[in-house]
Amino acid sequence: MTAVEAVALRRTYDLGRGRGGGQREVVALHALDFRVDEGTVHGLLGPNGAGKTTLCKILATVLLPTSGGVRVFGNDVVSRTRQVRQSVGVVFGGERGLYSRLTARQNLHYWCALYGLPRRALLARTEMLLARVGLSERSDEKVDGFSRGMKQRLHLARGLVGDPRLLLLDEPTTGMDPVAARDFRLLVAELRAEGRTILLTTHDMAEAEAVCDRVTLIDGGRALATEHPRALGALVSRNERIEFDSPTADALPGLPALPGVVAVTTLSPGRYRVETTATEATKAVIGLLLDRGATSLTTTRPGLEEVYLKLIGNRGMEVGR
Amino acid sequence: MTTVRTMHMAELVRAVRTFAASFRLQCLMMRRSPGDLAVLVTAPFFSLMFLSMTEQADRSALAPYAVAAPVLIAVWSMSLFVAGDLISKERGNGTLEGLVATPASLSVMVLGRICAAVTLSVFAFVETWLVAWLCFGVVVRLPHPLALLATLATTLLAMAGTATMMAAVFVLARSARIFQNTLSYPVYLLAGVLVPVSFLPGWLRPFTRVVFLSWCAGLLRDSLARPDIPDLPGRLTAVLVLGAAGFGAGRLLMRRVLWRVRVLGTLGQA
Ligand SMILES: Nc1ncnc2c1ncn2[C@@H]1O[C@H](COP(=O)(O)OP(=O)(O)O)[C@@H](O)[C@H]1O
Ligand SMILES: [Mg+2]
Repeated sequence: MTAVEAVALRRTYDLGRGRGGGQREVVALHALDFRVDEGTVHGLLGPNGAGKTTLCKILATVLLPTSGGVRVFGNDVVSRTRQVRQSVGVVFGGERGLYSRLTARQNLHYWCALYGLPRRALLARTEMLLARVGLSERSDEKVDGFSRGMKQRLHLARGLVGDPRLLLLDEPTTGMDPVAARDFRLLVAELRAEGRTILLTTHDMAEAEAVCDRVTLIDGGRALATEHPRALGALVSRNERIEFDSPTADALPGLPALPGVVAVTTLSPGRYRVETTATEATKAVIGLLLDRGATSLTTTRPGLEEVYLKLIGNRGMEVGR
Repeated sequence: MTTVRTMHMAELVRAVRTFAASFRLQCLMMRRSPGDLAVLVTAPFFSLMFLSMTEQADRSALAPYAVAAPVLIAVWSMSLFVAGDLISKERGNGTLEGLVATPASLSVMVLGRICAAVTLSVFAFVETWLVAWLCFGVVVRLPHPLALLATLATTLLAMAGTATMMAAVFVLARSARIFQNTLSYPVYLLAGVLVPVSFLPGWLRPFTRVVFLSWCAGLLRDSLARPDIPDLPGRLTAVLVLGAAGFGAGRLLMRRVLWRVRVLGTLGQA
């Protein structure tokens, strides 16, 4: 089943009247076509201002589309808002969005109640979620005193209070330390194993490669491409790549002339990359390199980072909002 | 037919849960921030002032009036205080969007939270009663305890319903602050909080009928000071009907607030 389907989705923000008296607006989403399959972890990767948060808010029914259609599990976000809200959980990035004067447990009790849970179920789910995000020990402390990472964990728990089929995570790991980020990946894998669909926006390409089944690159309110994270590499180059060390450059002579070799580049002093058009050529190159004593051989494909840089350019990579 | 009925029932159960949870949330928040209970600090001073006038004039029979008035003032100003920036505070705290994304009704959340605040403000009654007794030796008797409780309970509900409407108006109106600041004394007057409305100029009286608080003030005084309370059920109903009308208007206006949030992406002025 399709978890999310957006067709020609457009969203603009009104900025009021400009100096000349004309109405000014920002187009955050431009006729976006977008689809997420149920049960997958789908990444939304793009620079600041690409429209990721806007898309999440529309899916969470917090914003209305300006035009175009959006369905979540077949329910239109405008006409069947109630059904959509029942099936979606959302974690907006950042630290805000919790009642900081209350404890973690009191926060979760409240958010659970808003999903209509009866008392007993509410208490049980709160404890389960606290354990799940590793906050059981600190659950009676005020959120005020929580570190950024702890707040993010609580946010995740909050996003799960309604037992959502679709979980929207808007830059959930921004500012997380590496251990927390690893825990986060494990949690995402668990949630996926439970059959939930996850839409995750991020700047972090390593994260997208690690957890996503599919990635959509988005820029300027348009979806540029949707692929498996590894398959995205093919957008940049169909070539296979062999990288190797040869400190004295002994391995190099004659390489460019081999059949199927299209390029030999120097990556850093003593490290080189050969690109070939076919697997046959790759085998021949590897054989030759081994004979000539090259070390640290690896075959690679273009990573997400390279795809991103090529398609979107070198902007907006900084973490911020 | 039955499915329709079960659906309504389920809706109602949800609404009650939202209400109860929001009530609890507000109590927890106010416990953590005693400054929000300022009305409980001012209420005894109001009763001191009113009682010193009635006692000075040797009108002990008016003591119940002097005890009741500060309670109504506390109830009203507490709801103005909480309703005034409830929505914009949620916005500032970053919780508004999360709340909107849940299936629960925003009006019911607001109702529950204001109801909690108003309930706390009813402790002003205990304070003013004690002031009368300890400072002036006047024991205000409670000849109709059940009627008094019913009056207080309906007053709370009607106040919370009306304040839900105010919470939406404060977001939608341009000059919410001015509104908030000027909405107290005219209401005290029209509601006959201290001076019974029958003492007001005749042309003002029709207006007092639509102010739910005027019915509350009358009932509160009667349940403290009269041997009998004329038409108690009818008057309680009037309070509830006016409160429900306020809540109904509040729901409509709250939809408008939500529309603004979802279309503009902000609470700002359209
Ligand atoms: N409330 C708003 N008012 C006006 N412009 C906005 C608002 N929210 C977002 N925008 C603009 O819409 C575009 C997309 O923003 P956003 O969805 O937040 O992108 P991202 O999350 O990918 O960084 C940006 O140009 C941003 O400035
Ligand atoms: Mg964003």
